[in-house]
Amino acid sequence: MRKWLLLALVVTALISVPPQWYPRTWRAQWADWFGASGYRPLPASVSVEGAVPEPACLEDLSGWRDGQTIDGVSILPSPTCIADDPYAIAAFVRGTNNVSAATLAASGLTTDAVEKGADLDGDGDPDEIHIRLEVIELNGGSPELPEPAAQYAIAPGIMPGFWTFAPKFVGMATENFESLNARASLRLPSPAIRVEQGDRIRITLENGHYMPHTVHLHGVDHPFVDVNGEGNDGVPFTSEIPVMPGAARTYEVQPRTTGTAFYHCHVQPHVHVMMGLQGLFVVEENRPNNWLQTLNVGAGHVRAPSQAVREQYDREYDLHYLEIDSDLNTRIQRSNDPRLITQSMHRDYDITDATADYFTLNGKSFPYTFRDSLVVVEPNERVKLRVVNGGMNPIALHTHGHKVTITHRDGVASPPAARITRDVVSLAPAQRLDLLLTTTNDGINSYGSGIWLFHDHGERAVTSDGIGPGGHISAIVYEDYLGPNGWPETLGVSWDPYFTEAYYRKELPIWQAYAPNLFTDAGVDVGFLLRLIVLAASLGAIGVVGLGLLERTRA
Amino acid sequence: MRFAQIAGGALLATLVAPALAQHDMMQHDVMRHEVMQEGGMVMNANAETPPRDCEQVSTDHAFTVHAGAEYADGYPGTTFGYSQREFVVEPCSRVTVTFVNDDDVRHQWMVHGLPRYLYPGGMFHVEANGGTSQTGSFIVPSDDRTYLVHCDLTQHMEKGMKAQLVVGRGSGDLWAIPGVSRGFNRDSYLPSGTGVLMILAAALGIALAWALRRLF
Repeated sequence: MRKWLLLALVVTALISVPPQWYPRTWRAQWADWFGASGYRPLPASVSVEGAVPEPACLEDLSGWRDGQTIDGVSILPSPTCIADDPYAIAAFVRGTNNVSAATLAASGLTTDAVEKGADLDGDGDPDEIHIRLEVIELNGGSPELPEPAAQYAIAPGIMPGFWTFAPKFVGMATENFESLNARASLRLPSPAIRVEQGDRIRITLENGHYMPHTVHLHGVDHPFVDVNGEGNDGVPFTSEIPVMPGAARTYEVQPRTTGTAFYHCHVQPHVHVMMGLQGLFVVEENRPNNWLQTLNVGAGHVRAPSQAVREQYDREYDLHYLEIDSDLNTRIQRSNDPRLITQSMHRDYDITDATADYFTLNGKSFPYTFRDSLVVVEPNERVKLRVVNGGMNPIALHTHGHKVTITHRDGVASPPAARITRDVVSLAPAQRLDLLLTTTNDGINSYGSGIWLFHDHGERAVTSDGIGPGGHISAIVYEDYLGPNGWPETLGVSWDPYFTEAYYRKELPIWQAYAPNLFTDAGVDVGFLLRLIVLAASLGAIGVVGLGLLERTRA
Repeated sequence: MRFAQIAGGALLATLVAPALAQHDMMQHDVMRHEVMQEGGMVMNANAETPPRDCEQVSTDHAFTVHAGAEYADGYPGTTFGYSQREFVVEPCSRVTVTFVNDDDVRHQWMVHGLPRYLYPGGMFHVEANGGTSQTGSFIVPSDDRTYLVHCDLTQHMEKGMKAQLVVGRGSGDLWAIPGVSRGFNRDSYLPSGTGVLMILAAALGIALAWALRRLF
């Protein structure tokens, strides 16, 4: 009886072996004798439904985009969909200690966030500047919630953890009690700092974070020790004990030279710099009545530029590039205990094995870059771009439709004869370039109006974890291509898939929206699958029955 | 300070702050009232008006709460803390909090869930710069309820700055209050090699069962 059962199982197994697994020569011989197998349609296309796009551009309820004058501070219009808070800009220009009570309240800043004091050289602007920066954590873990606290998405659904420097504010870190979203002033990258050559600058780091941090002024003229003989360079093993949680420290500089520089935390920099503790530091030329926008939150468009920039340029943009290894940046979400996080980030994590997954421009990845990190221009303008590469790999920055001129490298002006013009500029890690973008339609500087991308041409940087379009793609957009809400009027395909989390979770067929039959997912071959299940089941049964027979024979 | 020039006193200016964030979900709320003071602020202070369900103020409670990194001592795995993490008060009582910040960074003592018709956003909030202190009062409703108290600087609540305000008998402890309740999500504190240890233990179990099989 058992033998017959075994025979039946073996026959079933043989029959269920799929023909595509037969040896190639057998199949060829079969075709020689009987011709090819008959036609059976391949599995039908299956489209993936149910991913609802978020709106690309919300209405500007508070009128933040408009050009306006607040407390005597003239603030340029910001044509992009999302603009910086103009009340905060006014407070940064006048000083949070000088601005009106109503403006300060609207800005949400503390009275000591950016204090401005005496006019030392008598040229009509304050030269004593005291900036207070806090260290904040975005998308951090929680001992209660299943999702990150103080959320900041760089693209739909993408929320790696970040640490950044931020101006001092009043009240909640989130938009309100119902929201988990961080308030507008808490974002990536750390704010670009702008000071005047010769100003007496004090930067107080108020470390409200659970790890030690410092400020290192990379490329800014600063003494190694301050007037008290204490370390001023921010490096723990040569300069100072780092600022511990709950403590504060003041750095002092009076820069003699101008230029685009950098600042970052220098504690375990391979971790802390990559977590986002880095920002642009611009030293502007001394001019009369030079009221500077001391902080540019999130970098991007400078809405109250310096006198020197106004003299030579029509617009100014700060462009801060960052790359993110999600293996590092998600570690603050996996534990809550600072001891475990410290071990995980500084001992378990190994940057020499790192690969970057996400790429941001001014703290956003595509498509969010199009909300607030566009370079908006009009024809025949001179636009100043201050670019920093905050990542660990070089960037080959390519501008569509334009060739830019490198005027300064690492804050030092290039001699006019050496100012090269090109459409791919290289930036080493931490390098700053000042670029002149001229929008004159002459076939070199510009090819005319349009929506012209700019991005690192190292192609992984135009993806988010390998999904494109993503990464730090942004665009030079001429104003005649901007809609009334600041959203570019693109030609080409719908952006709806890019505004879904599913697209960046790799769940949506990339061309489904405009070629539904051709490029949706292929269905499953049910027949093949059933054959394999039957084959596996009969092989298993053969094993059991066979073992039983063997045991009986022995007995 | 400019505020001192305007008001010339300890209470410097009562400000009506417009909605701070764009697309603020709470724009329908009563405007919040912030009393800015040197080095900090008190938001939605209310020492006079009892909630609708209270005929009058039942009693007075006064607390002095210190905040800072030093108050994390004794609570492993936290960085910041309050000197007191549970505040038990009677229904309809007036609570006066003197909040002393012993650190060099900002801290807050923020209560959530109060009636919104009296406390815009449902909040009472004291905030003090490093090295300063602030005092404010509010009146609690009559029902037995436990309210969240925390510092909303990023990660301060998660890293230990969390407390509860128990009115009457309260409504049960909140999670993750140092010295009061556990975290809902627990980190693993197992040593490395725990997997090998489990395999060895399983092998021991099999060996024991085999050795004792005749007993069953």
